[in-house]
Amino acid sequence: MASVRSITAEELHRLINSGQGVTILDIRNETDYRDWKIEGKQVTSVNIPYFLFLEEEEQLYAQIPGDTPTVVVCAKGGSSEFVANLLTERGYDACSLEGGMLAWSQLYHPVTVYEDDKLKIIQINRLSKGCLSYAVISQGKGMIIDPSQKVDVYLDLAEQHGFRIEHVVDSHLHADHISGGSQLADRTGATYYISSGEAKGTNLKFEPLERHPRIRVGEINVEVLAIPTPGHTPGSTSFLIGNRFLMSGDTIFVGGLGRPDLGGKAQEWALDLYDTVFNKLNGIPDDCLVLPAHYADINEIGDNGIVGAALGEIRENNEIMRNDNQDSFREHVASAVSTEKPPNFEEIVAINRGELQVDAEKAIELEIGPNRCAVHHHG
Amino acid sequence: MVDIVVDAKGLACPMPIVKAKKAMDTLQSGQIMEWLTTDKGSMKDFQAWIKQTNHELLEAKEGNGVFTFIVKKG
Repeated sequence: MASVRSITAEELHRLINSGQGVTILDIRNETDYRDWKIEGKQVTSVNIPYFLFLEEEEQLYAQIPGDTPTVVVCAKGGSSEFVANLLTERGYDACSLEGGMLAWSQLYHPVTVYEDDKLKIIQINRLSKGCLSYAVISQGKGMIIDPSQKVDVYLDLAEQHGFRIEHVVDSHLHADHISGGSQLADRTGATYYISSGEAKGTNLKFEPLERHPRIRVGEINVEVLAIPTPGHTPGSTSFLIGNRFLMSGDTIFVGGLGRPDLGGKAQEWALDLYDTVFNKLNGIPDDCLVLPAHYADINEIGDNGIVGAALGEIRENNEIMRNDNQDSFREHVASAVSTEKPPNFEEIVAINRGELQVDAEKAIELEIGPNRCAVHHHG
Repeated sequence: MVDIVVDAKGLACPMPIVKAKKAMDTLQSGQIMEWLTTDKGSMKDFQAWIKQTNHELLEAKEGNGVFTFIVKKG
């Protein structure tokens, strides 16, 4: 096989954001494609399973626009080389995504959300899953919120931005991805915190978040206030910095509220969520920037590359957050619950509870796939 | 009973399907192919492929990490 050009997941991300337009030819089977694919505002996405290219049918090529660069994507990067080669022979500007969707699932993109001389906040976006984690930095000290399993990302970040990781927190016990919390704390000597409501009875070594109404990051007065916001799972926690930034975990998203069903008690948790939205968060001003742990749609990524919105804006756009009738709120939330669980969520929860150990390869395999944690509340 | 055996054990995408396609091309309609793979991804793609190309899946089994498919050419 002639050598074909390939690009890395980072390069593909830059290409997608360049604004010049890109065609992604996804050659996985239809089911896998429907389930989970690479998205972007300037992306034309075409799905033609690679085995169809073996039939040498000319009409396949009619579906692939030739006016933008074409990136061929498969599961692990083998078949995409094969198909990119066929396209190149036909004169397409084509290349293969190195490592396929597996590599895409491991791509993390850090963006600085805010910076002054006392405080820096970095949002780390795991694009394939819509998972967001945060670094809160002050005076060379740092706190990592909701780290993903690839902990090297945070170690690199600490080196680049010159801070020492002292605190690692999980806003809740994640069901959709493997937490890097315990591991990151072990590697850095930081304290790992999660609320007892989430971690009680598990094998985790943790500091109960509810015993730390404030966690100090740095030497100056950066207030990191943990407010218990149950809702998503019993014991979910949000983090508030000076009424200006709210790391809301999976409680409030830019586009809606968390899904309360993963423990199988949708009605009960919907009430906790109600309590969160109307009682605990009520005192926080409209201009506070909400920085969630997830997004469900690429349109939630702003032009500045950041996923976040003013609390007032979210209140404005989500009817459900203005519906202070408890019964109808509960019904609305419980009925909007999706029947689709995150892939492998039972095993992922067991790993995050410290009850199941898997090797790195298995961990990556378990996590592959879409994020299904946000409930959409349209209309 | 089986007219051709395609051993794709240990191979990664797209080779298991490429081999299956080449072998299938040598068969007449109604003849039988046995296909073996150890690659989970290929297994799903194989099922999608035979559905798309109107071959008939007669049997699918798994043992010791090897997936075996018996297919009748359509």
